[in-house]
Amino acid sequence: MKAKYLVGVLVILGALAYMIFGGLGRNLVYFLTPSEYLQDQAKYQNRPVRLGGLVKEGTVQYDKDRLELRFVLTDGVAEVPVLHRGTPPGMFKEGQGVVVEGRFGEGVFQGSNLLVKHSETYQPPKEGWTPEDVRKLIEEAK
Amino acid sequence: MNPALLGNLGVSLALAFSLLGLALALLAYFQGDGRFLRGARALVLPALLAALAAFLALEWALLTHDFRVAYVAKNHSLQDPLWVTLVTPWAALEGSILLWGLLQTLYTFLAARKPLDPWRASLVLAVLFGIQVFFFGVMATIASPFETLPNPPADGVGPNPLLQNHWMMAVHPVLMYLGFVGLSVPFAYAVAAMAVRRYQTWVEETRWWALIAWGFLTAGKVAGMWWSYEVLGWGGYWAWDPVENASFIPWLLATAFLHTAIVQQTRGAFKAWNFAFVTLAFAATVLGTFLTRSGVIMSVHAFAEGPVGPAFLGFFLLSTSLGLGLLSRVGREVRDTAVFRPLSREGTLLLGAFFFAGWALVVLLGTFYPLLVEAFAGAKVSVGAPFFNQISAPIGAGILLLMGVGPILPWRRPRAEVFRNLYLLLAVLAGGTLLGLLLGYTLGASLAVGLFLYNLAAILLLVREGVLGRKAAGLSPWGFLENRRRVGSLVVHLGVALMGLGIAFSQTYRLEAEKTLYQGQAWEVAGVRMAFQGVRALDEGRRFAVEALLRTDRFGEVRPRLHFYPQMNAPLPAPKVIYTPGNDYYFLLMDFDREKGTWASVRLIVTPLVFWMWVAGGLMALGTLYILWPARGAEAAKGVSPA
Repeated sequence: MKAKYLVGVLVILGALAYMIFGGLGRNLVYFLTPSEYLQDQAKYQNRPVRLGGLVKEGTVQYDKDRLELRFVLTDGVAEVPVLHRGTPPGMFKEGQGVVVEGRFGEGVFQGSNLLVKHSETYQPPKEGWTPEDVRKLIEEAK
Repeated sequence: MNPALLGNLGVSLALAFSLLGLALALLAYFQGDGRFLRGARALVLPALLAALAAFLALEWALLTHDFRVAYVAKNHSLQDPLWVTLVTPWAALEGSILLWGLLQTLYTFLAARKPLDPWRASLVLAVLFGIQVFFFGVMATIASPFETLPNPPADGVGPNPLLQNHWMMAVHPVLMYLGFVGLSVPFAYAVAAMAVRRYQTWVEETRWWALIAWGFLTAGKVAGMWWSYEVLGWGGYWAWDPVENASFIPWLLATAFLHTAIVQQTRGAFKAWNFAFVTLAFAATVLGTFLTRSGVIMSVHAFAEGPVGPAFLGFFLLSTSLGLGLLSRVGREVRDTAVFRPLSREGTLLLGAFFFAGWALVVLLGTFYPLLVEAFAGAKVSVGAPFFNQISAPIGAGILLLMGVGPILPWRRPRAEVFRNLYLLLAVLAGGTLLGLLLGYTLGASLAVGLFLYNLAAILLLVREGVLGRKAAGLSPWGFLENRRRVGSLVVHLGVALMGLGIAFSQTYRLEAEKTLYQGQAWEVAGVRMAFQGVRALDEGRRFAVEALLRTDRFGEVRPRLHFYPQMNAPLPAPKVIYTPGNDYYFLLMDFDREKGTWASVRLIVTPLVFWMWVAGGLMALGTLYILWPARGAEAAKGVSPA
């Protein structure tokens, strides 16, 4: 009798654990830099990703009537083209560090949410970003 | 005398009184000497007054623009309106800890007024003074609200503009802290109960505290959701952000405790569960502060930056091991011997508590999981909202199911006539779900309709039963209202059912559209016809506002805004929300022509039933208040209310 209960409890706990850890695995959002993405592209296809980098100078195209924003994101080493549907946030400009939430697909990174770090103490963008700087930016953007 | 001096004096004195009180209370317990206890009791009021002096000193510094105080320089500016200045003490870390400490001394003061046997009274005071020692110790060392600057600025930057954008921000943190602090009293009583091995009465004695803490937490959470909805400009109220999760976990555990506590009060069972839940609920408030203040969740490297984080982590571990350590020592004596049927009042209460506690565990796991992944796989990740939603939907549905049936079931075993009610309720559930499906809603939303009607039916059945029972006994049916616990809890349950319906619909059906409009251009979307008339700029002193003038057919002129604060490098949206019983219409100004004002990008978000979620929050608070309201006669004589 007791063993039967034990088996039942184990089955329920197992199902719960599967649900939780399976769910966690499917819903992990990876924080990446363009170089990290280019190293392992297949792994991140159609998965939620938080991609950080600098808006490359001279690449921003915004069509306000179609609400389409295109630009190239760089971390100083690698580059990824981004397509974001929606208005650019107030702080968005060339050379600015941004974080885009979205998925990779059809050759571009399709952004669904564009974050520019809100900062109470304004810091001018510095020269010569490295992937490490970008990494820090992704983690701090909120 | 200046504010910083008075503030430091207040903090130091509050720390000294608390330390002395802790020492005296412990002496009273271990020496068994009533004089020490009287001494400890006498220190409760001085500690409260010292904390109050410190808090008023901070207000004084803010009101007199004393920028020598670092906290004022960082969080205040000459342009702040009066109400913003008054609420600035809880706009940043050091001030919030001061407010928390002040409220703790207030609760300790109130708790110490209640009569209690000297053994437990000593321990309750020791625990509460111990908590005060922690808070004032943190303020006296690593997070002083009264640190001074050698070179004070002429003006400061003001509090985070996000906090100034809505009056709700004045209320939300205070409600949360009142809730968090309120849990310390049941925790202190539980520790005392385990130490002196008197396991039964503490639950009844702290019922008032647990309920008021829960009421404040609930009101605080709903206020926070409202703020998020009206200020953050994303048209949502809950994002499963670590900060939100951190305050949701104590709420869930406190809810679990409230339900198992009922069983101990009426049947003397579930003692061990109550000790465990109250310990975890209190510890979770501390853990939440650690999570949100240390920066550990965003990045492990931030761990070393804030000294407050490790202090709160240490305090969390200390309080958890105190509560659970004592529980493991007395575990054998508080174990339940009876068998519980799942189809009984106590069975559903325990099962419901498991759902709440399990939910808390899942949220905790999801919040901490990024740390595990980073530690073991080296990858930076976050857990997306879909995970929390997928897990929360079935748990929430389970809770709604139990909530309807629980109060219908009698204690111990179901009587035959109860089954008639159960079948009736199940029929309502099935019928409501079917109705939803016929109306074309998704399965989830239909189930939410079914569960709402099912709960409504259960509440009506209970009211009918109460009224008929009184009539049969020849009493006035209005006397049913005197049964405060029953009536109040039904009102709370109605609020929860309504909240569930609101969440299900607002999450399932949400319409979002965005368009760039030129002056004079009309746009029809989601049943609203609007024409863009132009933009207008307003200089409001501390900020600059730009508003778009939209003429709509249904709501007249609507003016969503963007606020530009000098201390922010990006504008903040100030959406215009129009609530209707069916849908919410949420107008946002996204972008505008900065040269001539000839065009503006406008977004409209239409979400159903959000209005009812705020009503639901109000019902939950009102129901709690109704239970807590001092009753005439019997209850007052029992001393349930400490006032």
